Amino acid sequence: MWSYIGKRIVQMFITLLLFQIATYILIDLQPGDVTDLLIGNPDITAAERARIAADLGLDGPLPSRIWTYLTNFYTGNLGVSMQQYPRPVSEILMTRLPRTFTLFMAATILSFWLGYIAGKFLAWKRGGAWEYASTITGVTLFTIFTPLLAYILLWLFARQLDSWISDTFGIDFDLPISKFNTPSLWRRAPYDTNTVFSWMNWNFFAIVMIILIALIVSNYIPRRYRPALRIGSVVLSIGGSLIWWAFISGVGLYAWDIVKHLFLPILTLTLISFGGNMLLTRTSMLETLREDYIETARAKGLPEGVIRNRHAARNAVLPVWTALVFSLSNTISGGIITETVFSWPGIGATLVQSVSVSDFAVAMGALTLIGIMTLIGHLIVDIGYVFLDPRIRIH
Amino acid sequence: MSTENVIEVKNLTMEYSTRKGNVSAVDNVSFSIKRGQALGLVGESGCGKTSIAKSLLKLLPDNAMIQQGQIVLNGKDMVPLPEEEMRKHRWSEISMVFQAAMNAFNPVYTVGDQIIEAIETHLPDVSEKDARVKIENLFRMVGLAPEMVDRYPHEYSGGMRQRAVIAMALSCDPDIIIADEPTTALDVIVQDSILKEITTLQDRLNMSMVYISHDVAVIAEVSDRVGVMYAGRMVELADTEEIFIRPIHPYTYALMQSFPSVTGPKRELVALPGEPPDLLHPPKGCRFHPRCPNRIEKCDQEQPEWKDYGDNHFCACWNPMEIN
Amino acid sequence: MTNSSSNRSNGGSSVWQARWALFRKSAAANWALFAENPVGLIGLGIILFFLLLVILHPILLNTVWDPNVYNPINGFDPQSPVNPAPPSARHLLGTAPQGQDILSQLMFSARNEFILAVLAATVTVTMTTTLGAIAAYYGGVIDNVIMRIVDLVIMVPALSILIVVSGLFELSIVQLALVIGLISAFGASTVVIKSQALSIKVKPYIEAARVAGGGDFHIIFRHLLPNLMPIALLYMMFSVTGAIFSEAVLAFLGLLEVDMSWGIMLNTTRNLGFILDFSNRWYLIFPAGLSITLLSSAFYLVGRALDEIVNPRLRQR
Repeated sequence: MWSYIGKRIVQMFITLLLFQIATYILIDLQPGDVTDLLIGNPDITAAERARIAADLGLDGPLPSRIWTYLTNFYTGNLGVSMQQYPRPVSEILMTRLPRTFTLFMAATILSFWLGYIAGKFLAWKRGGAWEYASTITGVTLFTIFTPLLAYILLWLFARQLDSWISDTFGIDFDLPISKFNTPSLWRRAPYDTNTVFSWMNWNFFAIVMIILIALIVSNYIPRRYRPALRIGSVVLSIGGSLIWWAFISGVGLYAWDIVKHLFLPILTLTLISFGGNMLLTRTSMLETLREDYIETARAKGLPEGVIRNRHAARNAVLPVWTALVFSLSNTISGGIITETVFSWPGIGATLVQSVSVSDFAVAMGALTLIGIMTLIGHLIVDIGYVFLDPRIRIH
Repeated sequence: MSTENVIEVKNLTMEYSTRKGNVSAVDNVSFSIKRGQALGLVGESGCGKTSIAKSLLKLLPDNAMIQQGQIVLNGKDMVPLPEEEMRKHRWSEISMVFQAAMNAFNPVYTVGDQIIEAIETHLPDVSEKDARVKIENLFRMVGLAPEMVDRYPHEYSGGMRQRAVIAMALSCDPDIIIADEPTTALDVIVQDSILKEITTLQDRLNMSMVYISHDVAVIAEVSDRVGVMYAGRMVELADTEEIFIRPIHPYTYALMQSFPSVTGPKRELVALPGEPPDLLHPPKGCRFHPRCPNRIEKCDQEQPEWKDYGDNHFCACWNPMEIN
Repeated sequence: MTNSSSNRSNGGSSVWQARWALFRKSAAANWALFAENPVGLIGLGIILFFLLLVILHPILLNTVWDPNVYNPINGFDPQSPVNPAPPSARHLLGTAPQGQDILSQLMFSARNEFILAVLAATVTVTMTTTLGAIAAYYGGVIDNVIMRIVDLVIMVPALSILIVVSGLFELSIVQLALVIGLISAFGASTVVIKSQALSIKVKPYIEAARVAGGGDFHIIFRHLLPNLMPIALLYMMFSVTGAIFSEAVLAFLGLLEVDMSWGIMLNTTRNLGFILDFSNRWYLIFPAGLSITLLSSAFYLVGRALDEIVNPRLRQR
């Protein structure tokens, strides 16, 4: 199994290199270069321009330029932003990467889990109004123009619901409609946004790990303790974290501000992927229900819930998991749109923004990071599949 | 052998409703099985054998309905029981060895886990440790290495899987096991050893069995009594030897003739002309009459009576084969 | 005997007649299957509705609509000096912030969407089937090269590549369609089509064709490709959905220089700050937003209905 994973990693690295070369050539196809920006400047002569081009390494042959680009990239030098000159691209991207990563992870996990639950029950209770309603909802969410959905949610939550809640209960949520934080609030903060946010990310990571470990361990303990361990790990890790943020950390207020800004982007992105996951789980579950082992399970007199969850859904999840590779790229496209609509400064918004001002050093960095994220996503899907399907695990 | 009936089926009638109309898959079938006895149900494919098996467990698809009749299991009629009640009787009193053993196991769990869950459901007092010991013993009994308990189904060969399915069927000490074409998918040598295994186990545990097969040879080998099915109806029911020596119904006769006998006297192999009827529109009267060589006038008018020919030999025919 | 010789004597015509009859028969059977499914019919209905808009637009501009007032790009109505204006008898869907009639914009954009969709999908389908068939038929190095390119393209979401490309080059609708078509040609559908081609490759009639002396070219184009057509048609529908969606997103993000499209309409609304004013300015948001959604979901629905015909196991008893 480890050799398989190792092989996949090497394969992915080669793909990444090819991708970087391809993007470099693509950018190179563009007529002219960065020094064209200086044409309009009367103080800079043609000779001066040539010197600047040489300084920037733009005069060499294509292969040597590609080589320079790649060696720079892997030593952490992604160039400087022309728009925010002379800020290094790596610095810009590194402050934004954790945000986008969190957004994608949260939305992917949520939409997969919710889609799985919904699809499972829809396949179980076939026919009737539910089937119609769910199919329509699923197809709508799957095909709706993403910005439209984002604005509808913004309007619904940040405008209608927010004012309704403050009118009715006197609680003011002030659900923000854009940006990553409220600057006026953070002026007095003891730490900057990225620090607090990185704590939140570590906390999130810890919760996921605790639950994951509990799930794995629970398979090796007596059956009757399993639910206690599983539910306990979820309740304790999440509950503990909430208590820590609220009462002990001292920055609960600021964390809450970040959460408020995260809420709508995550909701939007979750809903976009949810429809597809639900429809796919449903189809897959319907196929699984026709398998012989489902009839065996019935004949064994197992309770309905066990047949549905332990036998049908557990197998139905396999194709949905495989399809994550494709829905991942949907989620990332959706993420780019969502970040832009909410002016939420992550990698996606950075890509759009840098492209629209022709800041191609930043754009290339962002594009490469998006590529790396997709590759990591694919790797996680591959490794996960090995765990989900014993037929692969053994060989 | 006690004379107590483990299961009594009375006038069982089951229909599938399809878009084109109702299909009468099982029509007015009655039989009973005593403790330790094995009943073989034989007939061409589509004659309702498997439908009977599924009705006995009440494992019917949504479009199937038991129209009338009783299935009395250990003195209790199963037909009116709601699903949740019925569930508790499955496997603990009546279990099944499936036709397609290849896919009878869920591929993502070990075989042992899938047997344990049945024991846990029906025998909650058995501890996990005891359940495991029990499964290992069952594995030994059916001729599997106890280590195989922790293996996944795809690590089993076809024959091993069939043995594991048998072990699973035995796991909750049922009173009766239904074996639906238990060996059809296997090659002849494995087939034979598994059949021997089942009959030995059946004797040892004094269990009742229902064998379902289209293969007369298999039925002859394993059952004490044989019921012959044709187009959803039972046409003849008798002790195994009796029915092979003295078939009364022309269909039974033809069926016996269509299988070569190695040990018995040489005889002509007879192929039955025609096709089994379409159960959407079954023929009037005796359902066999369009193919019957002994047909007389009233065969296509009236349904033949279920008559006792002595020696526990029953048959439904207006013009039975000449005795001898 | 006489029959077969007469067949040979009058050459290909009777073969083509037989083919035509077969085609008509299977088309009728497939249409019956398609018509059974309300999902596909709804999709088809929506597509026809938008096609009607496309056809009506030039007719309206030449008859009832004054081209100066109703020009979708620079029309202006002197009778409604305050823009944007809500729907009225003169402007059924109101006017845009710069004074154009929204209905006219909508209808004009529909034409662009169809041009884009059909072009992109044709490029995709022609290329995926050819690539898939060639990769499956030859295997080896050719297969490897094609599949590695596919890996590259699948690696990054198409939208992010499109964003960069449209930032680098000023694309017209036709160029954009070509780029979208090319990118999705090397996408996941190639993998599916290749595996389908692999299963056809081992069929006896391919072997028979080879034994009969058919060249590679003959086998690929006469035997492999025709059998890949049903599944290719299916993916054509899905790639249309993708093309419409991508164009709309790029236009919405302000990265496209096309004269008018639904995405541009939304972009204008957003730039002028009307996008959250659902109660007063809905006519600036929903006609364009819903058109994008409806048309792309229509192709998706037709695709799903075709899927059930192509993959009968999906059909419900």
